[in-house]
This record gives sequence, structure tokens and C-alpha cells, in this order.
Amino acid sequence: MEAVRRNGSPEVNRSMEPHITSQKKYRRYNKYIPALLLLLPLLLLIIGFFIVPMLYILYLSFIQTDGLDTSNASYSLMNYTRFFTDSYYLSSLWLTIKISLYCVIVSLLLAYPVALTMSKCTPRVRGYIALLVASPLLISIVVRNFGWFLLLLPNGMIHRTIGSLGIDSSSLRLLFSETGVVIGLSNSFLPFMILAIATSLYNIDPSLEKASAILGASPLRSFFSITLPLSLPGVVSGSVLVFSLSMSSYVTPALMGGANVPVLPVVAYDQMINLMQWTYGSAMSYVLLGVTLFLVTVFTRSMERSRFKEVFR
Amino acid sequence: MQALVNDVEIRGAFKKYGSNIILNGINLEVKQGELLTLLGPSGCGKTTTLNLIAGFLEVEQGEVLIKGKRVNDVPAYKRDLGMVFQTYSLFPHMTVYENLSFGLSIRKIAKEEKNRRIGQALELVRMTGLEGRYPRELSGGQRQRVAIARALVVQPKLLLLDEPLSNLDAKLRHELRAEIKRMQKEVGVTTIFVTHDQEEALSMSDRIVVMNQGQIEQIGTPTEIYANPQSEFVFNFIGKSNQLSGRIQTVSSHMITVVLEDGEQLFVDPDNIMGADKSCAAGDPIKLYIRPEKVTIDPGSSTEPYFNHHTARITQMNYFGSTWEIEVSLLGEFMHAIHPVIKPHWKIGSEVTLGWKPSDVMAALK
Ligand SMILES: Nc1ncnc2c1ncn2[C@@H]1O[C@H](COP(=O)(O)OP(=O)(O)OP(=O)(O)O)[C@@H](O)[C@H]1O
Ligand SMILES: [Mg+2]
Repeated sequence: MEAVRRNGSPEVNRSMEPHITSQKKYRRYNKYIPALLLLLPLLLLIIGFFIVPMLYILYLSFIQTDGLDTSNASYSLMNYTRFFTDSYYLSSLWLTIKISLYCVIVSLLLAYPVALTMSKCTPRVRGYIALLVASPLLISIVVRNFGWFLLLLPNGMIHRTIGSLGIDSSSLRLLFSETGVVIGLSNSFLPFMILAIATSLYNIDPSLEKASAILGASPLRSFFSITLPLSLPGVVSGSVLVFSLSMSSYVTPALMGGANVPVLPVVAYDQMINLMQWTYGSAMSYVLLGVTLFLVTVFTRSMERSRFKEVFR
Repeated sequence: MQALVNDVEIRGAFKKYGSNIILNGINLEVKQGELLTLLGPSGCGKTTTLNLIAGFLEVEQGEVLIKGKRVNDVPAYKRDLGMVFQTYSLFPHMTVYENLSFGLSIRKIAKEEKNRRIGQALELVRMTGLEGRYPRELSGGQRQRVAIARALVVQPKLLLLDEPLSNLDAKLRHELRAEIKRMQKEVGVTTIFVTHDQEEALSMSDRIVVMNQGQIEQIGTPTEIYANPQSEFVFNFIGKSNQLSGRIQTVSSHMITVVLEDGEQLFVDPDNIMGADKSCAAGDPIKLYIRPEKVTIDPGSSTEPYFNHHTARITQMNYFGSTWEIEVSLLGEFMHAIHPVIKPHWKIGSEVTLGWKPSDVMAALK
């Protein structure tokens, strides 16, 4: 009796409910179908040419093998332990981080004044500057690097100019050095930094500066107390962008640094293409990805918890 | 002893943007401790005038004096003023305490004195206990109070307020109006208050400056401005008004007779002609203005010899709680009368007699 009732009464409900909910669900998801259809081509592209290869590389990185033969391979963390126990690879990682940090600092220092100027201009002038700032992006990175290459050559224009001032520049190594790579990378990524900072400067209410002035703050003080803190979101996003791009860049370090500047993407490329060490190269790529993500996360989190946390809300 | 110098003086200020003349020869004196309102329609140059005093703008001609000193070339941050902006402009990355201590730190005030003054300022605006809040965590009215406290805490020479209440709802606006007035008197700081709300200006100010198209129309106490407007613009801008036009029939030293289109005769006090030039002659066209609250409906017989009467038909009756606004049609124009009774016995369509005193009519010559 008990059992029948227990089963009996829910029976009625169950027969009703699924009907209603399925109809509701159908209606609820119905409106997403057009959007989904529109997104489908891109989704397929991303899955097919990004997610699947990334997963395949992740899979490769756990294979313990010599060369390309994966037929009788076993799975292990060997590739990763090899990386973290070999000082050559660790120093390459450190070099990559160092160069990326330099790039962030250099592009920050160069970008901020430009962004500040843009924020003070009339919209028309601002548009022209933005176009000018973005114009390098229209030129292939190889062409741009080649330009720098010519300028930085030991008998190139920069060395000759310094020489003509009577200064001995023979000890200064611009090309095939970290300096050259930092110059090339900062130049490439400067537009991103400028636009990121400018965007957050535009969003600052201009009356705040007036308020600060009327309270007695000199323009310099207003800048450091009001404008700079309030532009931090742009500084942070620009820095993250430039840092990640620098960490993963291959062409510029390869061209402008060569064998003297073995950053991790160059080393990983070497392992995979020249030495046919697919599995080890894959592991390196994932180390690079992991370290970049980790550093970026730590950086943004710490900014969001700093004394300027209110700015990031 | 009264102070001999005015706290602020503007002499012949002239300002244009491109070819648009924004301020056309402004002359203004602000007395010590008074609350002066700049009142005028949108775009008439109120903010521009305030920015001129604050030091955010430069004039093409004329000069600005603060406490007797010419400040044309003194930048805003050296003028030692307090200002409250329409959008509050609290520093979003600073707590209430930090917002208030900003100006004090610049003035290198010692910590104890600073805390004492911040405490006092927050007490003045009734915001004690919210020192640790960020502006984001405050309501609109609270932000406005903090903005006022931030301006006052530095003990400025002058307090400038640019439409500080226009972003608030009606109830809060009324509350803060009274509070700003109270605080201003309590602190005694000379204050310039910008508004386009005539009610706000009338209720708060010691004196009102009515501006129109970059010029000052009239300066006076609220009662002077309301009861004795010196131009048509001022009359129409302050309060509601009824308008009639006619032609002068006879002029004498104590009374002018005007004939309306329908032949009815009205009496006007010659002192009530607005503007400097009060000379007129029979046959001149004239415009008459009467405040709705001065119009009586069915006045009965009056003892005054020149009392004005006119019949009209009621077209609408609007209820405002404490009063009725009665609309009548007269010579094709709508006239309004404010009637303070509980329930009038007239209906829409009733024929009534309107009455008003010659001294309650303001006149403008064309
Ligand atoms: N930067 C500017 N460039 C050109 N014209 C301006 C500029 N700032 C203000 N104006 C013009 O100056 C006139 C006066 O402006 P102002 O801001 O003083 O008006 P306001 O009386 O404060 O009006 P509101 O009540 O709307 O604030 C307006 O016609 C405005 O269009
Ligand atoms: Mg304004």
C-alpha cells in the first residue's frame, strides 16, 4: 500500500512535468539557435585548427620517445622533468621572461605620453594619431624587422650616427643581442599598449582633473594622484598583452637575436623542426604557455588586490 | 566694520568660442558671506562665468578679482577655492576620508588637525561614519554631501557650486537645498551657486543674478527679482505669467490707461513699466504681464478706484493639492489664475470676472 502510494503520486507529477519543462526548455534554447548557427563556422574553425592541434601537442608532450617514432612509446613526465632539470632550458625560459619584461617597460614608457596626448586632443586629431599609431600593423613583421636590421647593423645608420658624434660605439651590440630583440618587439607591440592606455584615459571624467586642481593640486600632482591611478586598468591590460605577445614571439627574436638570444619559442622551434624532437618541443610549448598564464594571472590578481583595487571594479 | 572689498569682482568680462559670443560684458560683485545665485536658461553662460572665477577659463577682455586681487593669470590650483560639480566628481579610487584629505595633504596640514577638520566637515554634511566608503558605495545624495564636504574642508576663500542638485530626485533636491543654505550660513563662506531652477534660486539665495545670452539681465534679492523685474525676460523666466497686449490711451503721472483689442479699458501703474526708459505716449503699443496669483476670480466690488475687471470663460481647472489653477480664455490668449480655496464652485465653461490691481500689472513698451 505504502509503496504504491509512494510511487503512485509522483507518477502523476512526472507525467506532467517533463512535458512542460521540455517545452519550456525548447523555448528557452530556441532563441539561441540563430546565434549558434552564425557562430558555427568560427567554432568549427577554432575547434579544428586550434583546440585539436593544441590537445594533440599536449598529448605529444607526455610521450617518452626518441625522435618521431611514437609506435612503441610510453607515457611519462620525462619531457617536463628534462626541461626543469637542464640549466640551459631554464636559462632560456628566464631569458624569455626577462626580454618580455623589458618590452613591457620600454613600450609602457613610450606609450604613456602618446596615449596621454591622444586623450587631450580633439576627437578629430585623436583619430589621426590613432591611425598613425596603428599604421605599423599594416606592414608585415618581417619587413619591419628587416628595416630595424639595416638600421642596427654594426655599420648601419645608428652606429654611424653615434660614430660621427665622436663616440666609440664598437662595444655597443645592437643587432644579434637582447637589445635588438627588445627594440624589435617593443616596436611591434607599441600600438597595443598605446591603444589600451588611451582607452582607459578616455574613460576618465575630465571634471576629476578640475576637481583636483581646484583643491590645490598642481598639474603634476593631479597626474600622479588622479590620472595615473585611474588609467591603471589600461596599463595592466596593455602590459598583459605586450608581455604575452613577447613571451610567444618567434620571428623577431629569430631575426634580430639569432643564436645569441635563444628565447624559448626559438628553442622550441629548433627542437621540433631542426632536431625532430616533437615530444620535447611540445612539452616546451606547454611550459611556455603555463608560465605565461601563471605570471599574467599573478600580475593581474595582485593589481586587483593592490591599494588601487577600486580602480579595477 | 564691514569689509570694504568684495570677495569677487568681475569687470567687463568678455568671452567667445570661435565667433560665438558667450559672455558679453559681465559685471558682477559678490559680497562677503553672501549666497549669490547665477540663474538663467541653459546655455546662457552660467558655467562659463563660474569657470572664469575658478580659473578654468581665460577671458578675452575684462578682469576677475578675488578678495581685491586680480587673478586673471593665477591658475586654478593656486586660487584656493572650493567647487562642487554637477557630476559630483569624487575621486572614484579614494575613500570618503581620502577624498577629503586630498586637499588638506596638499596644504600640508598636520595629521591631528586634518582628522579633526575631516570629522567636522563630515558632521556638517551629516555623513559621519562613512569615512571608509568608496564613492561607488554611496547614494547620489550622499555623494553630493561628500562633494560639498570635500570643498569646504579646505576652508576655501569661496565656494562655487555648479548645479549641484540637478542630478537628484525632487524630494532629495528640496532637502539638500535647505541643507546647503544651513551649511553656508553656518560656515559663513561666500558662495556662488549656479542653477537654472528659479524656485531653487528664490528659496536659497541672498541675491540672484539673472543671466540671458551672455548678459546679466538683473541683479537683486529674491523679492526684488520676483516683485520688481526689470525686463520682460526676467518676468517670464521667474515664475509664471499672463500676457495681454494693448495700446496706450491716456498717460498721466499716476496712471496709464490701456485699451485692449476688444475695447476694454485697463489701468497700469506707470512705475511698473520695466526697463530704464519709462517714457511713453498715447497710441504706443504696450504689453501687460500679470502673475497668476495676483488675478482674483469674481472679486466683487472693490474699493480701489482703478481696479481692473475683465470677463472670461473658464477652459480648464487643474488641481495642485493646496491650490487650483484656473485657466481662462481671454482675447484668444490663455490666462491662468491661482485660487487657494478647497473647491471652487465654478465649472469648465463658466463665465467669470477676473480682477487685479493696477500695481500688480507689469508693463513692457515695444
Ligand atoms: N568648449 C566650448 N566650445 C564652444 N562653445 C562652448 C564651449 N563651452 C560652452 N560653450 C557654449 O557656451 C555657451 C554657454 O555655456 P555654459 O556652459 O556657460 O552654459 P550654462 O549657462 O552653464 O548652461 P547649462 O545650464 O546648460 O549648464 C553655450 O551656448 C555653449 O554652447
Ligand atoms: Mg552649466
